[in-house]
Amino acid sequence: MSVTFRLNGQTTRFHDDPMTPLIDVLRREKFLTGAKPVCREGFCGACTVQVDGEAQMACLKPMGLLDGREVTTIEGLGNGREPLHPLQVAFAAADVVQCGMCFPGMVMALSAFVRDHPEADRTAIKTAMVGNICRCTGYERIIDAVVDHLKDGAAPKAELADV
Amino acid sequence: MSDVLSPEASTVMNLPRRDAQDKLRGRTKYTVDRARPDTLHAAVLRSTLAAGRIRKLDVSAVWDCEGVRGVVTGQDAPGLYGIGIADHPLLAVDTIRYHGEPIVAIAADTEALARAALKAIVIEIEPLPAVQTMADALAPEARLIHEDWRSYDLLFEGGARSGNIAWEAKSSRGDVDAAFARPDVKVVESSIGVGRQSHVPLEPRVAIGSWENGRAHLQTSTQVPWTVRNVTGRVMQLPPGHVRVTVPPVGGGFGLKFDASIEPITAVLAKMTGRDVILENTRQEEMATCLCRENAEIVIRSAVTPDGEIVGREAVVLMDAGAYGGEQVFLTTMTSHTLGGNYRVGAIRIVSRAVYTNTPPNGAFRACNGVYNTFALERHTDEICAKMGFDPVEFRKRNVLGDGDLGPTGQVFEDDVLHPMLQRMDALREKTGTVEHLADGRLYGKATTVGTWFVFVGPSAATVNLNADGSATLVTSGVEIGSGTMVQALPQIVAGQLGLDPNQVIVREADTDAAGLDAGVGGGRTTVSIGAASVAACADVREKMLRTAGEMLQTKPEDLVLANGRVEIAGRPGSGTTIPAVVAHAQATTGPISGSGSFTAKNTPAMSGCAAGHFVDALDIPVFVVHEAEVAVDPDTGHVEVLAYRVVQDVGRALNPRAIHSQIQGGVVQGLGYALHEEVTITADGRIAQDSFEAYRVPLAGDVVPVAIDLYEGAPSMGPLGTKGAGEVPILAVGAAIGCAVANAIGKPVDKLPLTPPRVLRLLRGREPKPVYLHIAPSWTQNTLG
Repeated sequence: MSVTFRLNGQTTRFHDDPMTPLIDVLRREKFLTGAKPVCREGFCGACTVQVDGEAQMACLKPMGLLDGREVTTIEGLGNGREPLHPLQVAFAAADVVQCGMCFPGMVMALSAFVRDHPEADRTAIKTAMVGNICRCTGYERIIDAVVDHLKDGAAPKAELADV
Repeated sequence: MSDVLSPEASTVMNLPRRDAQDKLRGRTKYTVDRARPDTLHAAVLRSTLAAGRIRKLDVSAVWDCEGVRGVVTGQDAPGLYGIGIADHPLLAVDTIRYHGEPIVAIAADTEALARAALKAIVIEIEPLPAVQTMADALAPEARLIHEDWRSYDLLFEGGARSGNIAWEAKSSRGDVDAAFARPDVKVVESSIGVGRQSHVPLEPRVAIGSWENGRAHLQTSTQVPWTVRNVTGRVMQLPPGHVRVTVPPVGGGFGLKFDASIEPITAVLAKMTGRDVILENTRQEEMATCLCRENAEIVIRSAVTPDGEIVGREAVVLMDAGAYGGEQVFLTTMTSHTLGGNYRVGAIRIVSRAVYTNTPPNGAFRACNGVYNTFALERHTDEICAKMGFDPVEFRKRNVLGDGDLGPTGQVFEDDVLHPMLQRMDALREKTGTVEHLADGRLYGKATTVGTWFVFVGPSAATVNLNADGSATLVTSGVEIGSGTMVQALPQIVAGQLGLDPNQVIVREADTDAAGLDAGVGGGRTTVSIGAASVAACADVREKMLRTAGEMLQTKPEDLVLANGRVEIAGRPGSGTTIPAVVAHAQATTGPISGSGSFTAKNTPAMSGCAAGHFVDALDIPVFVVHEAEVAVDPDTGHVEVLAYRVVQDVGRALNPRAIHSQIQGGVVQGLGYALHEEVTITADGRIAQDSFEAYRVPLAGDVVPVAIDLYEGAPSMGPLGTKGAGEVPILAVGAAIGCAVANAIGKPVDKLPLTPPRVLRLLRGREPKPVYLHIAPSWTQNTLG
């Protein structure tokens, strides 16, 4: 079966078993290793990508369902002019990262959430995060950073240089 | 006037992580991300029996399978490894000792082809009756899990061993029998039981092996590159110097990666195939063979006078090692220092046994047995208070270890630390307020607990090269596992010593070919041990730099200071010259400037005759915590909600307070999982039942609360700038604080963790059986090998 889809803004084709999970195509064929195959069962959220702007688990997404869809991975986040998404700036500035394995998925899930829920309060943010497991941080400082990001309204100034 | 800060003052800052941007953008290449298209993939045949004998093993048909490039069995790596005792084969040879034990490994062009080829292995295993529990293992006629236990190489002397008792450590100070016989004391006894905890790092254990110029090269997700080097050499019967280990950023460890595990398999396959080979545990394999925090059984009794003096204490602790001794052999040491810690005790004796069972081997997990020994000790302390009518906080203030008090092995503690920390907890509680109103009709409980742990010091080496652009390169065997030591504490320390900005300090990731010996990242040791080695290396660099600058400036080196990237004449800001000019001058005259330094434990002794079988006789750097929890228990469902959590932590000196706060928040939450819902059970056929995220319940965002934190500085430490490790201990007293708070809420003793809703409901309804350990003899002495 042949699937034509857009990956980080570029048209791409896939010819193989339509049941192949998106995560394997991203990591093994496209060398996009930002999405992490941590549980492969849809529980941890570490492989979250956006499909037509919605957060989806790449481990549960068969390639056969992607024909004509727009897939954005952590590598394709941002508009090409800003080096970092404002949420990434907020996380870096608040120093919330530890081992970092969960963050690509966390960023992909939360960037869609804050776009759709700019008025979200702390409880709503916590609820939105239950699909992303983090074993290092104990979550609260990530939540603080999201709250601050939303409170600031406009994106904080990109004080961190692209490195 | 001078704007030159002391090295101490200029080291302390909230430096943000330099690896955050790449991690946030998915650019960081963990080991799991480093397979190339031409890398072979390995798959492992694992036992589906808990105990048995391999009667037949034939892998010849595997070679006919599509894509297969290599097959290895135990015969290809015959050396045994271990910590304390070399009892562990890389791949099972004749005997199967646990469900999930690796037997054969296959390398093929893809993972799917490697897994498919596993089916071509012909194997016959004769089942043996599995010894599943410590009670079974200690029964008089128990089958020996290691029939040849006497023949194993001992890697450390001094422990008593016998049959299924892999190792026994004990301590004894003072006349305990006389203390218990005193007419004025009341004797209180507690029996405690805890299950295993699975680490669940998001990156599983994974390694890539290569064979280069007659040597193995392993890229691996480990905390202990030198252990991987030495174990790989041992099992392959190579000189350890024939193994090179490099470590990419590690996606979480928490102690799981504090031992070698799958790495040597990739080295053997790489040697056989001449190709790079990756072996990555699936999540199921990772959890089914997790080197968990061990399950344990504890009996502790104390003799206490009516005015609240603890005159005698004795305890027996059984630690389930699983099928191989591993870290538990070492950890028997830590029972005395934790269960025998916290309090001033007249006479004390403690025995700790690592017991073999036919279950997956256990290992190290953040603060290790300290976590459950602290739970046991603090619950026992609250039971003493309940039975004798003492206020628990006042009892603790009266009895916590202070200046000049003796530890269980006769070590003399310095300074009053825990008492002022308890006062600081009073102040923190005053500041945050308490939240009983949030219980909203449920049962409310609060508890304040204390804990004693240590910094696992041990050897480290560091080299600092000063570069012509004014930057410095720090070369160590340190590993960034997420705690930030390699990207925050170490560059801060080096910059402070050399008058640089931390961003001018390049930190090399571990490579055993480039850096000297190191005991690994764990035990809260990196900032202390690698930090101290780095300070020593910087002293070497400073001396050379000032000597060169002295020549250039015609000034005595002792009149010069390093600051702001310059060498200046003391008291004359802006004088002197730049560091790059000094480096250039040195390179042209005496050669490039570099320095090396090293560090190791000072090996604080025990009192003569007090400790036997201990790897660490006394704590070089004790670390203390005070934890306080407020909980609400739903009487209808048994659900425990944590309403508030407060921590006062002894950090020596906080080099990066914000980063330490993050470690405390994360460590407490991991402890909440252990205390409340992370449950590992062994099935009737010897498997770990919880081998997926669906079955094993780690804390999610909705489960957690922000931890209120106060960092206690100034306690004695031999660490650089007076610092102590801060990342390991945040989990230490969480089980204790939650266990005690739940007991207070429901008005009944809590003897086991985790406090899952079904268990709490049984406790509330009087249906939870008390722990009874018939295999622990009533007389303490009968629980020792003499």
